[in-house]
Amino acid sequence: MRGDTSFQKDFLIMGGDFTRAGKVSCEIKNLLKELGHSFHVVRRVAIAAYEAEMNVIMYARKGRFDLLITPNKIQMTVEDEGPGIDDIDLAMREGYSTATKEMRELGFGAGMGLPNIKKNSDRFIITSEPDRGTRLEMTILTNGEGLQ
Amino acid sequence: MTENIRPSLDVSTEKCIGCIHCLASCPTRAIRIKKGKARIIGELCINCGECIRFCPHNAIEARTTSFSDLDSFKYKVAIPSTVLYGQFDNATLPSEILVALRRIGFDYVYEISTICELNNAAIEKYLYEHHKPRPLIASTCPVVVRLIQRRYPSLCELIAPIEPPREIAAKILRTTLPRLLKITPAEIGIIHITPCPAKMVSINRPATMARSYLNGALSIRDIYGPILQALQQSQEDTIMCHLFPETLFSGIGLGTALSGGETRGLKNHRTVAVSGVRDTIRVLDQVESGLLKDVDMLECTVCPDGCVGGPLAVENRFLAKSRILRLVSSMGERTVINQSDMNLLYHEDFLSFHHPVIPVGTPPLDADRARAIEKARERDKLSSQLPHKDCGACGAPDCWTLAEDVVRGLAELSDCPFMNKEGI
Repeated sequence: MRGDTSFQKDFLIMGGDFTRAGKVSCEIKNLLKELGHSFHVVRRVAIAAYEAEMNVIMYARKGRFDLLITPNKIQMTVEDEGPGIDDIDLAMREGYSTATKEMRELGFGAGMGLPNIKKNSDRFIITSEPDRGTRLEMTILTNGEGLQ
Repeated sequence: MTENIRPSLDVSTEKCIGCIHCLASCPTRAIRIKKGKARIIGELCINCGECIRFCPHNAIEARTTSFSDLDSFKYKVAIPSTVLYGQFDNATLPSEILVALRRIGFDYVYEISTICELNNAAIEKYLYEHHKPRPLIASTCPVVVRLIQRRYPSLCELIAPIEPPREIAAKILRTTLPRLLKITPAEIGIIHITPCPAKMVSINRPATMARSYLNGALSIRDIYGPILQALQQSQEDTIMCHLFPETLFSGIGLGTALSGGETRGLKNHRTVAVSGVRDTIRVLDQVESGLLKDVDMLECTVCPDGCVGGPLAVENRFLAKSRILRLVSSMGERTVINQSDMNLLYHEDFLSFHHPVIPVGTPPLDADRARAIEKARERDKLSSQLPHKDCGACGAPDCWTLAEDVVRGLAELSDCPFMNKEGI
């Protein structure tokens, strides 16, 4: 029974909606704090969620952010409709970015997004289809983290 | 000390009429109206004093030191915040204000702008010596420290471990005055004069040390009248202050009453200054998401425009700010601190924390993870049934918080007047 306990929520993110940048990751972060997660977990999720959210806002037309929390893990799946990624290996390299000059001026596009997500996830799966979209699955394990 | 759990703010049950102005003003949703009176939840309150500003009935009172508390000390020492210099008309010099404080009954009055500069120099040195982590956050605003401990526990490590000027000043006096005056330390009462309701908590229950070096905090509101009287009665003092300016003021230090004042002295670092409680929360959210890593020093003050906008100040903050800016520009970048003095104190760890800021965190929905998840789900369900007019009639600041209070067992869904009417 206890193992079945889960919390699910999904969010719609619109591409180019910079005024709402960070809203989804912030809500997730606050929820995790209320669930009693350690601040190390909160920080890792916050960073991964923020980067994933920003990727949709910066590059895609729109995206769906699915959150699934169970007592043992936090799973976030972000599926967007957008240009997709031609070369995933290249995109995963630190410092590589396709951000425009304008985005960089806003402080984005340092080429750390995807590497940062990977670094902060226990399991990270990325699939992409050029001209269709990208799908990220990030899992952070909280088993054995202990209650605060 | 029961004082520890209580916030620095009290609701006067006589003045409070149970209206909803304070509910909406609270950035941490720490107020509820119960049985027709506002109640502040101690573990959520960060002592920012927003409710003081918004209460139309003056029912929120800051628990600060009173004049009668001072009587228990044989030697009364005042360390006024530089905000005090902006509270009186343009012709009043800071030195006249210091003299007025002595007339009121303080045996000693110490000017803090030099110590603000000392604190600034120590932060600069710390930044040079420690390249990680970033951004460092100044510890000066006690509300920011409390906010970080509770809402952003992972950011505790970013708080620069340099004591705020008021504590450094009190520490210096606490160590030197007994020897100088040949009195016992217990006979000395060191009082900070402040526009801030949070200082009292930071003195009674400091986040960065076992015990504060200060004995209390007097609000500018309370001491404004007596100072004004003393200023009017002391013509000769005024002339003396004009002709013999005895106190040394620091140009850099005076500016710390204003937002950006702490970062102004850090010429070779990338700095950001934020003021106002909601903007502070926004920026701390960004820091928690891994942003602002290219910033060396983040200065956050929860009062608008910095300490000058403190809720216990008297003069409107725009006038006060303009006066302080005038003082700052008349002093220029004048520095009074000797670098080798600073180095000496810095290396003796005289200026730094005894222990790091400890994360406190928010109380979880339930101590058991699985049950907390169930409660979060239940809260979402309840919230979707509520009208989201956020009227405050149930006693919670908004519908979402009522849903949360219900799952925490602190309220009933029927507290919502709309639910009753529609018979759900």
